[in-house]
Order: sequence, then C-alpha cells, then structure tokens
Amino acid sequence: MVSRHDALAREPAASSNPVAVLRDFWQILRTGEFLGDLRVTLTELAAAFAIAASCGVVAGYLISRSQYRIRVFEPLFAGIYSVPIILFLPLYVLFFGLGPASKIALGATIGFFPIALNTIAGFGYVDRTLVVAARSMGASDLQLFRYVLLPAALPIILTGMRMGFTVALLSIIGSETIASLAGLGHRIVHLAEGMEMAPMFAYIAFVVAIAAILNTLVSALEARGRRR
Amino acid sequence: MTGEVAIRIRGVSHQFGEEGETRHVRALRDTSLEIARGELICLIGPSGCGKSTLLNIIGGLIAPTTGSVEVLGRRVAGPMPRDIAFVFQENALFPWNTVFENVNLGMIFQGVPRTEREARAWRALEAVGLKDFAQHYPAQLSGGMRQRAALARALSLETGILLMDEPFGALDEQTRMILGEDLSVLLARADKTIVFVTHSLGEATFLADRVAVFSARPGTIKKIIEVDEAHPRRPDFVTSAKFTAIRNELYALLHDEIRKTMAETSVSTLGGPAP
Amino acid sequence: MTLARLWRALRRPWVARIGVIILLLCLWEVAARWWVDPMFLSAPSRVFASLPALFETRGVPAALRVTFWELAVAFVLSVAIGLAIGLALGLQPFARKSFMPIILLLYGTPQVTILPLFILYFGIGPASKIAFGVSHGFFPIIMTIVAGVQNIKPILLTSARAMGASRWQILRYVVFPHMIPSFFAGMRLAMTGVLLGVLLAELYVSTAGIGHFTTLFTQNFDPTRLLGLISVLAAMAIVLNEIVRRGELHFSRWHTE
Repeated sequence: MVSRHDALAREPAASSNPVAVLRDFWQILRTGEFLGDLRVTLTELAAAFAIAASCGVVAGYLISRSQYRIRVFEPLFAGIYSVPIILFLPLYVLFFGLGPASKIALGATIGFFPIALNTIAGFGYVDRTLVVAARSMGASDLQLFRYVLLPAALPIILTGMRMGFTVALLSIIGSETIASLAGLGHRIVHLAEGMEMAPMFAYIAFVVAIAAILNTLVSALEARGRRR
Repeated sequence: MTGEVAIRIRGVSHQFGEEGETRHVRALRDTSLEIARGELICLIGPSGCGKSTLLNIIGGLIAPTTGSVEVLGRRVAGPMPRDIAFVFQENALFPWNTVFENVNLGMIFQGVPRTEREARAWRALEAVGLKDFAQHYPAQLSGGMRQRAALARALSLETGILLMDEPFGALDEQTRMILGEDLSVLLARADKTIVFVTHSLGEATFLADRVAVFSARPGTIKKIIEVDEAHPRRPDFVTSAKFTAIRNELYALLHDEIRKTMAETSVSTLGGPAP
Repeated sequence: MTLARLWRALRRPWVARIGVIILLLCLWEVAARWWVDPMFLSAPSRVFASLPALFETRGVPAALRVTFWELAVAFVLSVAIGLAIGLALGLQPFARKSFMPIILLLYGTPQVTILPLFILYFGIGPASKIAFGVSHGFFPIIMTIVAGVQNIKPILLTSARAMGASRWQILRYVVFPHMIPSFFAGMRLAMTGVLLGVLLAELYVSTAGIGHFTTLFTQNFDPTRLLGLISVLAAMAIVLNEIVRRGELHFSRWHTE
C-alpha cells in the first residue's frame, strides 16, 4: 500500500476516449479474463450473505420472542449499524489477512444488521389481533408460527435480506478496493495504480453492470416472495 | 326572500376534461340560484352531483365552463379572500403551526395589518370555544376541535360570505350535533351569508334557511325547500313536527337521486372529481 | 433502596443494554488475554490504557483533526448542493421529471467502484475525501427534499390560495415548513453517507488523514493502537450522527405528535 500511495500521487494520464473503453470492455467479456476476479468476488459475497442471513434471522427471531428483549437489543443493533462498520476493515485485515476471509467476515458483519433488525420488526410487530384470533381457534405454537407469524413476517424479512445483500455487496467491493489481493474491486485498483485508464473504466462499467444485475435479481426475488 | 342578493349564480355548468378523454366528467348542469345576504343555504345532494364543484366555483377556485357568478355585484374571476372564506371538510390546518398560528396565518395571507391580527385571532378563538387550546398543534386535537379551529380561521378573516364544504363530514354524529348547534348560535350573532354543503338531511334541516336539493350527476338544482324557523335554532327543534316534515320531504326528493347515483357503474370515482 | 426496587431498576432496557455491552467487553477481554495471539487482537483494557499514548503518537491528533474537518466540509457541501438541486427539482415539475431518473440511476450505482477514479482526479489529499463524501451525501438530501415538496396535501395549497396567499407567501408559509422534517431526515442520511464516503476514501489512501495511520498500524501489527484509533473514530461517528438525529427530532415535533 505504500506503492499505492506513490502510484496514485502521480499525475493521472489524460482521460481515455470512450472508444478505447468500449473496445476494452468487449475484450474483457470476450476473453473471459474477468472470470477469475468475478469468481472471487461472488464467492465472498455468497459466503458473507449466507452467514449474515442465517445469523441474522436466527438472532432476530430469538430476540423478537420477548418485548423486553426487543427493547434491549433493537436500539443496540440500530445504534451499531448507524456507525460506518467499514471502519473496522483494518482490524479484520489485521486479524484475517488480505485474503477472502477478511472480506467475508466484514461483509457478514455489515449484512447481519439489516437482516436481524428486519427479522425483529417482522416477527415482533405481528398484529396482535391475528395471534389472538388464531389462538382462539386452538392453534398450537408450531401452527401459530407456520400459519400466522411466518407469513406475516416474511415480507419484511425479505426486504431485510435484500438490504443485507446490497450492503454486503457494497462492503465486499469496498474492502476489495481498499485492501485485497484479488477480486473485482482489487482489479480496478490495480489498473488505476498502473494508470491503465481504458481497462479501468471498462472494469468499472462491468462491476456496475454486475451490481445492477444482482440487485435487480434480488429485488425481483423479494417482490415474488412478498406477493405470495 | 327579502334583502339584497349576495351571490348570484347564473346558468353555471361545469365539466372536467374534454369529451372523449377518460377523465371527462360533466359535474354541473345549468345551475342558477340567488342567495340573499345573511341567509344560510344548504346544498344537499347525492355524491358527485356537483355541489362541492359549485361551491368552489362560487369561491373563485374554479372557473365554470359556462355561466357566471356574481358576488356582491362583482363578477367572480378568482379567489376573493376579503369577501369569501372557506371551511373545508379535510384538515386544511397547517400541521406545523399551532392553532393560534394557523388563525394568524390566514390573516397574513389576506393582508390584515399586524396590529389588528392578535385581537381578531383571540376573538375568533373565543367565539368557537378554543381559547384554551390556542398553543396546541392540530395533531393534538380531536376532529371536532380541529374543525372549530378551521372555523375560527375563517371567522377571523371577517368576510361577509362563508363557504363550508361538508365541514363536519368526517366527524361522528354526536360531535356533528354539538357543532351544528354551536354554529347556529354563532351565526345568529354574526351577519354572514353562508353556503353549506352537506350530505346529512338532519344537518341541512337544522341549520338552513333554505335547502337546495341537487339531482344526480350532472347535477342541477331540483328543488329549493324553505325552513321557516328563526336562528338560533333551539336543540329541541329537531324533535318538532316541522323539522320531521321538512326532513321527510328532503328524503323523498333525494332518495331516487341517490339510487340513480349508486347504480351508475361509471369509470369516474364516486366522490366526484377533484376540485 | 430496597432489593426489589434495585432489581426493577436493573431490569430497565437501557440498563440491560449497557449490561450487554459490558458482557461483550468482558468476553473480548478474556479472548484477547488467553486465546488470541496478541499480535492480532488487543484486550479492551489495554486499548483503553494506551489511549493517551495513541494521542501522543506524532501526527495522530492532527490526522484526527483533518478527518473531522473533511467530514464537516463534506457535510456542509452535501447539504448546500443537495438543497439547491432538491429545491430546483421539487418546485419545477418539468425539471424533476427530466432529471430524477438520472439521479436515481446514479444513486443506485455502487460508488465504491469509482473510488480510485476520485483519487486520480482529486489527488490523494483531503480534496478527494471531501469529494467522495459529498458524492455520497448529497443524494439523500435531494431525494428527501423532492419528496417533501411533492407530498404536500393539495388541500393546504388550495386553502392558502383561497385565503389570498401570494406565490411567495405559499412558498414561505406552506412549502418550506412542510419540507423541514424531510430535510432533516435527509440530513441524517446525508451524515451517514458522508461518514461512509470520507472514511472509505481515507482507508483507501491517505496522506494527512487517519487512513495513513490505520494503514500504518495494520502493517505494523499494532492492534492496540489500531483499535484505539478506530474506537475514537467510531465515537466521532456516533456523536455526529446523534447531533443530526437530535436536530431532526427537534424540528419535526409537529410531525410526530
């Protein structure tokens, strides 16, 4: 990173023309040279999201079971989440190293909060009338969960998952940009340090496109889940 | 009907949108009416019959497609804040201002000099019984109190004419009753010309000197009923035979029109187009 | 104080919250002392004790000041630019319809990908940090102001018009006061954005800001000072967020009642 400092302190080369960028973009797609970095980033994302989602939902559910616990933990989570957790990246890098583990850990940490908070909101604020009505009809705990709590909470939880996914993606690209040896964020930085403007723009466009595709997919899943 | 004419409505009709557009609605059809100074006239009719539209036309908020309105001899070409004040059904109080500030603001808009505003505001608040709630925000008040505040704001403008568009429409029956009685008392003292739109037969009979019954859309005045009873109307007027007779007549006039409106499975909304 | 009253006082949520935090700190302390290699993790007690030393490290206080200044400037700029654009769009339906889609598109893209670009164009000094912070901060302001101006109940505008209000009076007495809670909500989000933008840029590359020291402490495997620095920054972030949040609550009193 000392080299980054020096690398970027140089005057930037003149902005490359759009034709060169387009040509490089097409080249990247054609040769598939993006695959290595893409795989790294996507694996990190998948792992981070899996951890964040499972921990978030479980924690959120357990907390939602009692009003007292909600009052204790919800503000706590909201408070922590309001701090830019990316700040802890150097810690994670120190602890986990420059490899994927630190990205996954940070992504999971950041993604955990919106999922947990939305799970708490989803299960914790189910309309009491519905619960009373189900109980009055003789619903058991399991039936109550399956037929009342879960359907009622699901839309909110899905929204939380979408938010968690988006935020995990952003944090992973961010941590790859700041401190990494591989991945799409790293690739862009590498090209920037090498003053290779056209390929860099091409990769930026590529990453923006990938992010847009992923976000659209996830939003569509969320919408489908809500419609049921 | 004695006394000079305050509002002269001549051949007013109104449509929203052009023929062929999806939003085309013929709201009002060839309506004429003369309203005397100091009288309280109620406009009653089925939903969408154009009574609110007519009110907005009188107040200069809408320009009619055909016909004209004269207020105190002058042709209406836009809002006339010095002569006409509105009280709306919805909460038209500014939620970020207290009751007092709301009343004050109306006068700022109208152009009342600063020195007069405070006294007028307190007079108006006193008249509606909200003196103790002047520093409250609308969200802290009940629906009935909010409408009192809206009324105070209109009163503080000291206009000769008051246009009220279902002001008690969103309130429960008991509050409506009380507010109606209070309004009658208030107006016995003041000398205002009031045009009052309502859905409620009882309210119209209790408050009005005359009731104009509208037909279904496109509305026009079907019949005008006189209520010969002095203001302030006593609460027991409601139980009298005269009241019942008038109310029954209104019911008979309206029933078919209401059915006609309900049967309309048209694209337009039931509540009529927006003003 | 009787035992029962003490117990009830302890069960209050905010007390429990502090209890949870203390519990976590204790776990951390234990883990740092006996399980984890001190090269990777430092106990909270050590971190706390070494705070004075941290501040004595040459350049750290200056770096903190620079970072704080970057945050402040970025926030003010975000608000100013966001307010100007937001009002322009909110009050002009044509402009809004033309430009909002573009703005929404830009807002949705992961800005972190163009971080290296910002550095290349604005240099490695504070300017790029401020620019990146503004880039994150002014979007929420635009969005919330446009929304705030948009969702005025039409009846309020009709009412004002009927009472004879001029265009200017409507702007001043109806549009502006209505917009204020949205504006403050936007400021709260802007602060979050600015914190994110500035700190991201700092962590990426920094000459005079704290990013320089986070890099230094990481490379030198100095978790104590790293944790200390991060804690100070986190505290700064919390304080800044809280200030804006309080402001929002204060000015939105009529909204929430």
